[in-house]
Amino acid sequence: MSDCRNIREQFALLLYGELSFDEEERIESHLDGCADCRVALERQKALHDAVDAAGVTPSPALLSRCREDLAELLPREKPFSGGASWWNQLAGNWKIQFLRPVGAMALLAVGFFAAKVTPAFNFASGVASMGLGDFGGAQVRNVARQPDGSLRIVLDETRQRTISGSKDDREIRALLVAAAKEGTDPGLRAQTVTILVGDADAADVREALAFAMANDENTNVRLKAMEGLQRYAGDPMVQNALAHVLLNDPNTGMRTRVIDALTGREGQELDRQMVGALQELMSREDDRDVRERARRMLVSIKASAGTY
Amino acid sequence: MRKEGATVDETGLIRAAQAGDTSAFEELVRAYDQSVLRLALSMLRSPEDARDVYQETFLRVYRNLNQFRFDCSFHTWLYRIATNLCLDQLRRRKVRKEEPTVVATAEGTLDRTDTAPETRVDGDPHRHLFSGQIRKRVKEALGELTPRERMVFELRHYDGLRLRKIGEVLGTSEEAAKNCLFRATQKMRTALGEFV
Repeated sequence: MSDCRNIREQFALLLYGELSFDEEERIESHLDGCADCRVALERQKALHDAVDAAGVTPSPALLSRCREDLAELLPREKPFSGGASWWNQLAGNWKIQFLRPVGAMALLAVGFFAAKVTPAFNFASGVASMGLGDFGGAQVRNVARQPDGSLRIVLDETRQRTISGSKDDREIRALLVAAAKEGTDPGLRAQTVTILVGDADAADVREALAFAMANDENTNVRLKAMEGLQRYAGDPMVQNALAHVLLNDPNTGMRTRVIDALTGREGQELDRQMVGALQELMSREDDRDVRERARRMLVSIKASAGTY
Repeated sequence: MRKEGATVDETGLIRAAQAGDTSAFEELVRAYDQSVLRLALSMLRSPEDARDVYQETFLRVYRNLNQFRFDCSFHTWLYRIATNLCLDQLRRRKVRKEEPTVVATAEGTLDRTDTAPETRVDGDPHRHLFSGQIRKRVKEALGELTPRERMVFELRHYDGLRLRKIGEVLGTSEEAAKNCLFRATQKMRTALGEFV
């Protein structure tokens, strides 16, 4: 009787042709001598047919709509010939976004000359768009907190100059943002980023921190910037930067902290690019712990841990 | 539907598409898109969700085609993307407990039980009713399978993929796929036993 039960359990696989020659042979020889199992096999075939009949076929109208949608969407995609994968495109976009400092360096040269002609600061444009070039080719030499809470910034121009004021002052803020991105001394950049962290509600500050997090050559600066941005992991610009760090930062601790920052946002939707970055990380990450964290993160948001 | 490795023609199409030939890419889409849409519709039972999976599948293929290195068949790669997207959607839906059973479409209400051909039904009204009941129960039984069981069952029963290929698509072993199919068929048999 238990033999009959074992045989019947194999009927579905038998009908799918997924049994080995020996397994099929064992069932066939059993069926030869067991009428009950022959009846049971007929019932299994009937079940097979019933499931067949419940199959679904998309309507031609639905297929046609899908094709039309795709035809409309494809031209918006970048051509793939010789092109980068989306995560490389992401990285590329990121670089483009932060070509600004390069532009600022160009302005630096222009500004150096312009400073002689127009020494006064010009704040007609937004703070976020300012670079040190906007300060007549200045270099921030030092930033220090004053006992009254104001900041003292030493600028190297053609000659050194000192500016004092609150960090909420537009001029001071612009210099801090510029120094975080372009300061030549890592200690200065770390100090500036530490000061800016408290003002990350402002978009220009977040952008400066994101730039530092993604590009600064000093790990300490990158780490401080990330700490300041953790609360803003929902901001698409910040997520873009976090994805860049996740896939490009050479420091394991940085990559781990990105996942931790995302994990702390349970219940909130992750940007699709970020999900893609996590999935991509699964295939390229060498560190087992980081990979495991990424996997757990993907599982927690019900995304597959495979790469596409 | 093509189920095995790339033919010479298909290899040529893929290489042409990789070189930027959009008509070659279009031809690849047309070779496989009905199967992808059928799978998505069957798994998700929502034309809107199936439409999303269709778009996302082919957009991802388009974006990453230059990285396809022929180390698996194009069909396997494509289905890996489509099945992942379907499974993700099903898992999310399970969390939200939103399993649509009847679906409104531009063409009217769609239920998988209503789309089945009536080839097995003769003129006998009792038999017709019985057949309708079975299809309803099949639908319910499929809905009770886990996403993975259901995917394996769909790929084997409706797409006709061999277990080895299913393992490749789902990134698992043939044995694991076989166990999954075994569990699925056992559940189906238990759920439908009284009808057959």
